[in-house]
Order: sequence, then C-alpha cells, then structure tokens
Amino acid sequence: MNGSIRLMSALLLVLSLGLTACSGKSEPAKTNEPVTTPAPKEKVKIRLATWAGADEAKELQGVIDKINAKSTSFEIVSEPAPADYYTKLQTMIAGNTAPDLMWLGAEYVAPYAGKGALLSISDRLAKDTRSAAKLDDYFQPVLQSAQLEGKTYGLPWIAQPVIVYYNKALFKAANLPEPTDDWTWDQFRDMAKKLTNKSKGVYGTTFNGWPPVHMFVWQAGGEVISPDLKSSPIDSPEALKALEFYGNIIYNDEVAAPRNVVNEQGFGEMFKAGKIAMFFGGASDDLDRVPNLEVGHVRVPKGPKDRTTFAWTASTAINAKTKHPQEAYDALVDLTDGIQHWKVLAPRKSLATKAELIKAEPRKEKAADVIVKAAEDMRAFRIVPKHQEWDTIFWEQLQDPLYSGKGKAADLAKAARAKLEAVLK
Amino acid sequence: MLEAYSQTLTHWLLVGAAVILLMLITYALLQALKARRATAVGYALVLPWVLGFVIWQVYPVLYSLYLAFTSYDVLTPPKWVGLANFKTMFLDDPRFWPSVRLTLLYSFLSVPLGMIGALGTATLLAQDVKAVGFWRTLYYVPSILPAAATALLWRFMFAGSGLLNSILSPFLKLFNIAPPSWFADEKLVLPSFLIMSFWGVFGSNTIILLASLKNVPKELSEAAQVDGASPWTRFIRITVPMISPSLFYVMIMGIISAMQNFTAPLFITTPGGAGTFLNVYIYQQGFTQFKMGYGAALGWFLMVLILLLTAVVWKFSAAYVYYEGEVRKEG
Repeated sequence: MNGSIRLMSALLLVLSLGLTACSGKSEPAKTNEPVTTPAPKEKVKIRLATWAGADEAKELQGVIDKINAKSTSFEIVSEPAPADYYTKLQTMIAGNTAPDLMWLGAEYVAPYAGKGALLSISDRLAKDTRSAAKLDDYFQPVLQSAQLEGKTYGLPWIAQPVIVYYNKALFKAANLPEPTDDWTWDQFRDMAKKLTNKSKGVYGTTFNGWPPVHMFVWQAGGEVISPDLKSSPIDSPEALKALEFYGNIIYNDEVAAPRNVVNEQGFGEMFKAGKIAMFFGGASDDLDRVPNLEVGHVRVPKGPKDRTTFAWTASTAINAKTKHPQEAYDALVDLTDGIQHWKVLAPRKSLATKAELIKAEPRKEKAADVIVKAAEDMRAFRIVPKHQEWDTIFWEQLQDPLYSGKGKAADLAKAARAKLEAVLK
Repeated sequence: MLEAYSQTLTHWLLVGAAVILLMLITYALLQALKARRATAVGYALVLPWVLGFVIWQVYPVLYSLYLAFTSYDVLTPPKWVGLANFKTMFLDDPRFWPSVRLTLLYSFLSVPLGMIGALGTATLLAQDVKAVGFWRTLYYVPSILPAAATALLWRFMFAGSGLLNSILSPFLKLFNIAPPSWFADEKLVLPSFLIMSFWGVFGSNTIILLASLKNVPKELSEAAQVDGASPWTRFIRITVPMISPSLFYVMIMGIISAMQNFTAPLFITTPGGAGTFLNVYIYQQGFTQFKMGYGAALGWFLMVLILLLTAVVWKFSAAYVYYEGEVRKEG
C-alpha cells in the first residue's frame, strides 16, 4: 500500500512537471538591465494542405523554399495528402486541426465558404498592390469559382482550358484534313464517324461524362445554372440541343468508344495507345508527350452560339479559424504568384501569354498558341454551396440515364430540373 | 530528429503515466472498498483496455446515434432534425431501397453458396493426399491478399476482353452470345459480385470447417458404414450434424461480412441503376455529400438490419445445430 502511494505520488509529480513543460512559454522576469536590440520576430509557421503526389510535391517545395527565403514574417510548411484528400481535410476542419491554407478544387470553394470554413480575403485584397492580388488581372469566369455572394475566398492558381488533342497518323490514314480552329460540332461529328474503324478498335473520339456536357450547353447558348444561382434551365431549347448532341456521341460506336471498351481499356489510355483520333483534354495534360504518337492541338469545335471551353480550376484558400490571418493571407498571395509561374495555365491575363506558358512548361510549346487562344473563351462551373447534392442529381437523374439510353433528353431534363432547383432554394 | 519528435514523445509518455496513475487509483479505490486483492489487480490491469474501448468504440457509437438525428455537414456543428433523416431514408431517397435490395440479395445468395464451396473445399483438403500441407497453404493464400488489389484484379478479369470472357469465348461463340459486359451491365452486376465472392470461399472459412471435419469421430462413420450407409448418407447424417456448430458460426460471420461489403464495390464502378451496396452508400453520403447525419442514420439502419438477421438465424439454430453432449427432448 505504501509502495503504491509513493508510486502514485511520483507519477503525479511527473505529470504535473510534464504539463508545465508543455504549456505556453512564460513571460520573462523584468530586470533593470539596459534595453538591447530586440531579437528578430520568429517566423509564423503557416501550414499548407495539398493533394500533390510525390513529384508534384517536390516541385511545389521548390516554389515554397524560394518564398520562405524571401519572407520575414511566415514560413510555409507543406503537408501533402494525395490520398483521400478531401476526406482528410473535412475531418481536420471538424476536429479543429485544419491547416492555415488549403488547396481546393473549384467544386469545393463555394460549399466550404457557404459553411463558414473559409476566411474572406476581399478586404485585404482591396488594399494589396502585389500582382497576384490584382483581381482585374484574373480571367473573371475563373475568378468567380473562388467567390461567393460578392466575396472572395481564395485565389485561383491554375486554369485548365479544354482543347482537342488529335492523332495525326489516324487522320493521315483516313485521308482526312486535320481540324482547324473554326470547325463546328457537325464537322467534328462527321470527322469522328469517318475516323472510326471498329474492326481495328479505333474510334473517332471518346466521351464518358468527360468532357463536361456543361461546355456544350454553354456553346449552344444555354446555362446549366443561371448567373443568379437560383435556377437550372437545362430544359431550355439551347440546353436540349447540347444534351442531344452529347447523347448521340457518348458510347455510340459509330463515332466513339463504347462503354465496355472504355471501362476495359481506360479512357485517356485509349488515346495514348493510338485508339482514339480526337480527345478533349486539359491544357496541361500529358497526352502529347507519348513516344511515337504524333499529336496535334486544336480548339474545341464551335457550337451554335460560340466556342466557350470549360476550364477546371483550383484555388488556395484560408481556413476561417487560422490563428494567423495576416500571415496566412500574405503567404497565400506569395504562394499563388509562385504557383502561377509554375503551372500551366496561369489564370491571369498578364501570365496567360505564349512566352510565359513556354517558360513555365517548355514541353507545351507546340500547343501554346491553341491554349492561349482557348483561354480567351474559358469558363469554370458555377458552383453553389450545395454543389455535391446538386451534382449528384444532375448525374443520376439526367446524365446517367441519358448516356445509358434510358430516356429522352427533353423528358429527363424536365424532370431533373425540378429536383435541381429544389436544391438551389 | 529527436527535436522534431520530442513533443510527440513527451505526449505519449504523459499519456502512459496518466494511464498508470489511473490504474493505481483504481487498485487503491477497490482495496479501500474491501475488494479482494486479486479482483483489484484484475480490474486495474484491464483498465487500459476499458479506457480504449470506451473512448474509441463506445463513445463514437453513441455519438453516431446522436448524429443520426441531426443534419451534420462536418464543417458546421450538428443541427437537431429529429426523425427527418429516417423519413428521408424510408420515403424520399430513391437510392435507398435499391441499395437495400442489392445488399440483401447479395447476402442471401453469397453466404449459402460460399458455405457450400467452403465445405466442399474443406472436405477435399481433409483427405489424406500427398503434400496436403502445400495445398492447404495454397488455398489459404487468397485470404491474405489486400482487398483493394483483389478488387482491381477482379475488375480486369471481368473486363470485356478479360480472362473470364476469354475462357468462355468458345462457349459464347458456339451459341452466338455477345461477350457479357459484367460490371458494366446493370443486370450482371449482382452475378459478377457473387462470382467474386467465391474468392472468399478459400481462407478462414475453409480452415474452420477443415478443423471441424478433422474432429468428427471416425468411429461414427465406420459404424454407419458397417450398417450399409452410403458415403452421401454418412456425410449428410453424420458429418454435417457433427460440424453444424462450425457451419452456424461461418453462416453468422458470413452474413455480417456480406451485409458490410465495402472494399470491392468501392473500387469497381458499376452502373447507377444496379444500386449501391449499403456500406458504400453510407460512405458516399457521409464523406462526399457532406451528409454525415444522414450517413449515421443509414449506418444505424444497417446495424439494426444485421442484428435482426442474426437474431432470426440464431432463433432457428436449435433446429439445425447439434452440440455434442446436448440432450434433446423427444418430440
């Protein structure tokens, strides 16, 4: 019994010492010593969460190291999480252990901002003269993806306008001229039909939900979500035109790879294997870096109204509960500028030039002209706070049955519209 | 290096010291309450496990019960909504009942078929053949492969021009049948997963039944043989009843496992119309749709469903499970 009490006392002592050691630093005792030059303020650690894989994380670290070397107030610490990124991020936010800065795809900024998880940076941006903070320099349709209800919650660091990569050898073999920037939907479909050779397992194109049908709706003059975010006019004549066009191409083995072939051989992999003649890809995709595959680049075909192209975009945003908002903001702006000089394509007009593009990614020299031109017409999705719910309905009630031949575009669109707009309320 | 981890190490040591302190307090308290020394020592020693169980098992389960009655998007605090999640589940969610149907059908079909397969394999492995140890090891290997890798392997095997269709091609050509799309065909999704579930035949179920078969007294079989019983009769009337407790265990565990099928369906994309396994649906609702409250409600529904199925199987077990030494009343 005495032994137990002694042991308990010893453990209590250890615990109390340990807790004291782990607590915050105590104020130094005041003395009468003369005042000396204060030591330099310690840099604040700003944690950054990204989905970067091993190679990308290494390149990003190079960007971060340069920023940290110049900064006197913050030090960015990168925390890549390539697997289950958003699950981990949400868990960290729920557990109050989220990092100060986080990469967010366009589909996540509005939902997170709508739930109060992100810090608005509008006020700070208005007073900031650094180039990455000048909102006028950004492509507005891309910048909107980082905004909600007039406030800015992040800065986009990439915009990936969709262009068409085409297999030159397949065009030569079919005796077809290569596509040019002024081609139209009908010409695209016609070429796809002529390039399809089922016996050789070669198809004119391939769709599987990508490229996003939204792009074709915009090109037809329609909208998937209205500018005021209150309606989903997907049953308008313009939208229906686009849905029917898309529905007639996807998995239709006259012009495109069927579903089972795509599932088995892979979507982008089929183009790299020389089985697809025309593939809609993002600006920085590596589809044109396959050995022995001669690839050309062209803008997306023009729809009834224009040739608006979809651009996936991502932003860096600040955790609303960061303990260092000013340092986090400063790090955000410097980091965004650094990444915009690294990634293709920067979502800023001053950086979306051929020279800057080639400087950032020399391997894209051949595609540079097309990418820069495509950027002029690019736009991102309109994202609502309940985007995930909206998108699930858009896929399950409209796209999936349409692409599986289980209904007509007009009927499906009409039924889906009511459910979509219920989410927008 | 030590500097980087010193804080974490300190925390671990402090937690360890705190747990030991609690153990000592428990011991001292029980001693003060005049408990036997052995009892006090016992409770003090199981305290770490009890703490872990309460913190990481009991608390999350109870919290999830609370969340089932809330609207919780993970990013903002939960909001009480009463029975709204359950109303949505049973009345308004178009994906719920197809998921229940797929999960139940899969369980009702895969479990009996798997048991028959496991019993057949165990019976073969119970024979006195050469190098039987090698065969037993070989047949156990599938169960130690990672589930995700296995799912990807099966995805390849079920591809349009995959291994399965290649093997079936002479038969398909003979009857002019197009190669099935398996996972890409809504109607074939369930049969594809059922075929895949046979993978689970090999592994712990076979080992359990094999051990059970080895324990069946040979004298019973020999006596029946002397009386003229055929091999099939001996198997059905002697072997199966004698191993029925193991079969019962395999069935219960099989039902629980089948109802919770998750890894394979998560890695294998199937058409939406085929339905989603309930466990996958719970994950999707909770982690990709920002509906953790609804996901929690679905989780509790799944738990109650598994409990009910287990209870039904247990209730009727007396009719088909024979325990050695059990005395049954004459009918």
